[in-house]
Amino acid sequence: MSVDQAAFAEFREALKAPPTPVDDGLSDAERLARARQTFFARVDRRAAVDLDTCIHCGMCAEACHFYMATEDERYTPTYKFAPLRRFYRREVSPLRWFFKPFTRKLRLAELQDWQELVYESCTGCGRCDMICPMGINLSTMIGIMRQGLASAGLVPAELRALQSEQSDSNSLFGVGAPELTALVDRLREQGVGLPLDRDRADVLMLTTAVEVRLFPESLKAAARILDKAGVNWTLSSTAFEAANIGLISGDRDTRRAAMRRIVDQAKACGAQCVVVPESGHAYQALRWEAANELGEELPFDVYAIAEYAAELVNDGKVKLKATADPKTLTYHDPCRLGRHGGVYEAPRELLAEAGHHVRDTEANRRENVCCGGGCGEYTISHGAALRQKAFEVKRHELDATGAEAVVTGCANCRINFLIGAANSGWDKPILSLVETVAENIAD
Amino acid sequence: MTLLDFARGPGLQWSLVILVVGIIWRLLGALMITARRDLAKPRPHSRLRDGVGVIASRSLPAHVFEKRIRFQHVSGYAWHIGLFVTVLFFGPHIQFFESILGFGWPNLPNGVVVFAGAVTIALLIALFIRRMTNPVQKLISNFDDYFSMIMVILPLVTGILAFAHIGARYETLLALHLLSIEAMFVWFPFGKLMHTAMSFPARFQAGSGFGRRGVKA
Amino acid sequence: MRKDQTLGEYLQARGVSRRGFLKFCSATASLMALPPTSVAQVANALAAARRPSVIWLSFQECTGCTESLTRSHAPTVESLIFDAISLDYHHTLQAASGEGAEAARHAAMEENRGNYLLVVDGSIPTRDNGYYSTIAGISNLDMLHETAEGAAAIIAVGTCASFGGIPAAYPNPTGAKPVSEIITDKPIINVSGCPPIPVVITGTLAQYLTFGTIPELDPLGRPAAFFGQTIHDRCYRRPFYERGQFAHSFDDEGARKGWCLYELGCKGPTTYNACATLKWNEGTSFPIGSGHGCIGCAEPGFWDHGGFYKPISAGLWGSRETLVGAAVAGAALGIGTAMAARARKNKALREAEGDS
Repeated sequence: MSVDQAAFAEFREALKAPPTPVDDGLSDAERLARARQTFFARVDRRAAVDLDTCIHCGMCAEACHFYMATEDERYTPTYKFAPLRRFYRREVSPLRWFFKPFTRKLRLAELQDWQELVYESCTGCGRCDMICPMGINLSTMIGIMRQGLASAGLVPAELRALQSEQSDSNSLFGVGAPELTALVDRLREQGVGLPLDRDRADVLMLTTAVEVRLFPESLKAAARILDKAGVNWTLSSTAFEAANIGLISGDRDTRRAAMRRIVDQAKACGAQCVVVPESGHAYQALRWEAANELGEELPFDVYAIAEYAAELVNDGKVKLKATADPKTLTYHDPCRLGRHGGVYEAPRELLAEAGHHVRDTEANRRENVCCGGGCGEYTISHGAALRQKAFEVKRHELDATGAEAVVTGCANCRINFLIGAANSGWDKPILSLVETVAENIAD
Repeated sequence: MTLLDFARGPGLQWSLVILVVGIIWRLLGALMITARRDLAKPRPHSRLRDGVGVIASRSLPAHVFEKRIRFQHVSGYAWHIGLFVTVLFFGPHIQFFESILGFGWPNLPNGVVVFAGAVTIALLIALFIRRMTNPVQKLISNFDDYFSMIMVILPLVTGILAFAHIGARYETLLALHLLSIEAMFVWFPFGKLMHTAMSFPARFQAGSGFGRRGVKA
Repeated sequence: MRKDQTLGEYLQARGVSRRGFLKFCSATASLMALPPTSVAQVANALAAARRPSVIWLSFQECTGCTESLTRSHAPTVESLIFDAISLDYHHTLQAASGEGAEAARHAAMEENRGNYLLVVDGSIPTRDNGYYSTIAGISNLDMLHETAEGAAAIIAVGTCASFGGIPAAYPNPTGAKPVSEIITDKPIINVSGCPPIPVVITGTLAQYLTFGTIPELDPLGRPAAFFGQTIHDRCYRRPFYERGQFAHSFDDEGARKGWCLYELGCKGPTTYNACATLKWNEGTSFPIGSGHGCIGCAEPGFWDHGGFYKPISAGLWGSRETLVGAAVAGAALGIGTAMAARARKNKALREAEGDS
């Protein structure tokens, strides 16, 4: 259950190292043209309605943890996609001929200025989506901004580096097939059955680089649950990575390639379902985005590990025993698992089944406040100070529950909390949901 | 032709035509752009119930949000309600609608309507000042935001001036009142007043989009 | 009445007591919103007044204005005063006719050149050289020019003479015009109404007789004393307007209760006249009091403002077909622009797919 502090410290150090700058050789005109093309491609009916309806009320700021932490009006969510809205009005909207003489063209300098707003002061958490009186999907609009910036080669360097690593080497944070295989061997030595590269399996299990490096206990916990249920499952050494940097950075090719790899592997081993480990954006990527990105309905079900475990418990395939050490816990809903994913109750049911007492933060489930660092934004060193301030907002909420520990269902949220705690001297234990559940498997 | 005859005749005719053409043009022009069908397997849901549900529920923010937006939320709805009371329940206004639609409805006493109108004007002026001074709104506001507010305040103000016979002869004030409304009609399709129409599809798609994921939007 | 007799001597000879005369003067003074202290001045002026010469020209009119003025059941002090004017020419009331009548007119014009009062009722046709109304072979237009030249002032009685009235209603086939659009170099008082209230006419005349000056006029040239407020502002049914209690149709419950007639087309709010205070038939009633909305007869163009039964706030235009057509046009434009945007989007998507 404890986090390997040495591994975590090493990870943090690695984050601080500046990435090597990349020269993609694009001219300014090409960058702008690509951004424009991406905007044209991505603004469909739903985006058109969203971009046409903003009444500039500014209430979205009151939902954004970055604004709440700083009262800096530039972090107003609708402001984060203002260039896209203007582009829409001038080039796509039904009355565009009337607006053209009065509306400025999209400029590259503007997109460069917006890079910080879109990547550092936004995690795509979607809390603003819930407050907007017009029902606008601001997080999706900011996502389109990222896609435009990505096609123009304006992804922040740290994300760019990860993006390249994933597409070029099929690894992340230095964790590829060899590293996974080494971990599997180590865990097997501890007595954990971890099937690797089976030809046929009902369930394709995924994991993430951060699990391998920092939270191997989570992978172990998931394995124990699946084994206890007697599921025919496997990991794949070449298609194990659930994380999708392309979803975060906005780069289409990386996004699709990562999804393609998993889908092809699942088909190859005949999997009925794919289980996504504790990673919010990974769930969103596979469960809700992959079919659309790849243009085909998925021939398998996608579960988050919390969902899958809950189903196993409900079906009686795994029994949980009441813990000998019941705690008052507070469950943090990862944004992309909860608000964007629809998985709220399963984690809470599991914790209750395990005998723990769950106390929610005042804002929970669909109004839950983001951990502050998102799924990969924590790598952007320039935004560290801002993220720390945003973390304080969340910390205040968590402390107010009076809970003894925080449980969450996303390894990236966990990393953000651990970074925030290290910077501020917060000593609240940050627990993993799947690990907490696995501790209470009845024999 | 007097100014009042013009306002009741050609002014009304052409401003209404522009209003109708503009609203439908802008609405359909956005709604008829395509969107690919969502291929991800949805959770059990009812698209209609989710969409319509959010059209209603989005007017009532969750408690944790409400605390931070209470002034804007309450004052916003207060002036909208005041506007509807003034526009829809003043006897002479109902006669106006009846002349265009062919049917009317019961009216409220003038005192109630004038009170509602006065409160609406006061709130609009307060919110106009807020928009100019509040850092968030100041940053995100443009010409459309201020101009649209003026286009709404003018009919209210000219209406009260006409009602109270202040400023000019009554028939001139009445003509100005009608012309200010016609100016608002002409502006309507081009500015953010369109949210009266667009908010419905926007809220609906929020409801249906999140609903298929099992999230109440 | 002999021409050299003053009005005061004339009245005395007819048996009007000093008291009765003073009563009329204070009524007249209060009508014109003059202070009580001016009654003596009015009395002195009227008593000493020489009978001014008045030439009354009737053009495109219905004689309703004359009928209104002379309609009285018993001799009244007002009619005596009217007798006291030297009415030297009036189609309806004069005894003479033909050449004799015209001779009387010319004689009066000569004898009182520069001093006589010209009263006009009816509008003046101007199309085709004023062919459409002639008297003694002379067009109204020419007669007006000829007679106005030596007048001290002109009083245009009735809406026809003041603003054009019924003959000038759309499509105005005779090119009917009011006096003020034809004579521009003489002082003109418009006493509008269809017809005007009797005491409004005599009150205006009394004002002119008393002070020899044009009274304070409103922007349309009407005496402000009588045309300074709207019917709406003096209407006894105003409280019902304020409470929002309207009659919805003639003889419905609201109508029987005497509620406001706004919805039945009352033009009270935009009509300036003294009907709500002075009323008609020596103060008996006025249209609203009888359950019919004001038709705005003292205002220019009252025939052409959309109809007597259409409320003031109702639009003068409401074509469902046009609006349906507008909706169809909007739909076509909307779908068209969406198609173009769609094509652009699909092109960009194809280009994007092509890259990968």
